[in-house]
Amino acid sequence: MTDTYEPKVIAFCCHYCTYSAADLAGSMRLEYAPNIRVVKLMCTGKVDVPLLLRAFEDGADAAFVGG
Amino acid sequence: MIVGERKPFDEITGMLNGYKKVLILGCGTCVSVCMAGGAKEVAVLASQLRMDSGIQEKGVEIGEETIQRQCDREYIEPIVEMAKTYDVVLSMACGAGVQLLSDMLVPTPVLPALNTSFIGICEEEGVWAERCRGCGDCMLGITGGICPVARCAKTLFNGPCGGSVNGICEVSKDTPCAWQLVYDRLKALGKLESLEEIQPIRDWGPSSSGIPRGVYREDMAGVAVESEGSSK
Repeated sequence: MTDTYEPKVIAFCCHYCTYSAADLAGSMRLEYAPNIRVVKLMCTGKVDVPLLLRAFEDGADAAFVGG
Repeated sequence: MIVGERKPFDEITGMLNGYKKVLILGCGTCVSVCMAGGAKEVAVLASQLRMDSGIQEKGVEIGEETIQRQCDREYIEPIVEMAKTYDVVLSMACGAGVQLLSDMLVPTPVLPALNTSFIGICEEEGVWAERCRGCGDCMLGITGGICPVARCAKTLFNGPCGGSVNGICEVSKDTPCAWQLVYDRLKALGKLESLEEIQPIRDWGPSSSGIPRGVYREDMAGVAVESEGSSK
């Protein structure tokens, strides 16, 4: 157990840009923090308030929207 | 449309204190268009209440539903039995919707989640403005489509008053003088001469200053009952 607070971050990523960048990072064997959960969306225009609130309801500490 | 605003969250949770099974009922017409009480706003409020219930360990069950209109019986009737299985219904309609819903759901209590603001228009995204007070005796035809009842702070019928400065009302620097707007509009319409006609003292009988008003259409009232009778 560690005392360091590690927030669970859910990342809503656009298929055409941010998700592609994350995919490329993977191809390049670059690492990103394990407390980030990536959710691919076809467009971040899909992100609305109920979707973000649902992330928090389901236990996320923060939401990241990349698009 | 009827424009409304959601009540502060603390006021809503205060009203719901003690209830364990709550139905949030949205209205798909006016308050949906002004983004105060439609399906999406129901989802947002439900999510907030679920999180509040979880944090405070209240154990509240939240139901979500949105109907086309809460001011018409025909849209409420299909959900009456379902709604009565809840301890309370939190209506996201205007005051008219809340009242009809309350009438139809006795003994289930109905609480308002919105404050009904006014009859108005959407000026731009996120900005709504009052345009009609429902005074019952429309005079827009002689004021070029600008309502002095809703838009003049003094409800003058022969304006402007001396408080109109550079087209702004003395009551608020953010409010245009309604009678300046009337003048500009009639000028644009080439009908300035109509301002020379002095409007008589107003009969406020048809306004909302007395008992609740109603409209009775002889050609329509009772028709549904008659047709029901003839089909039997």
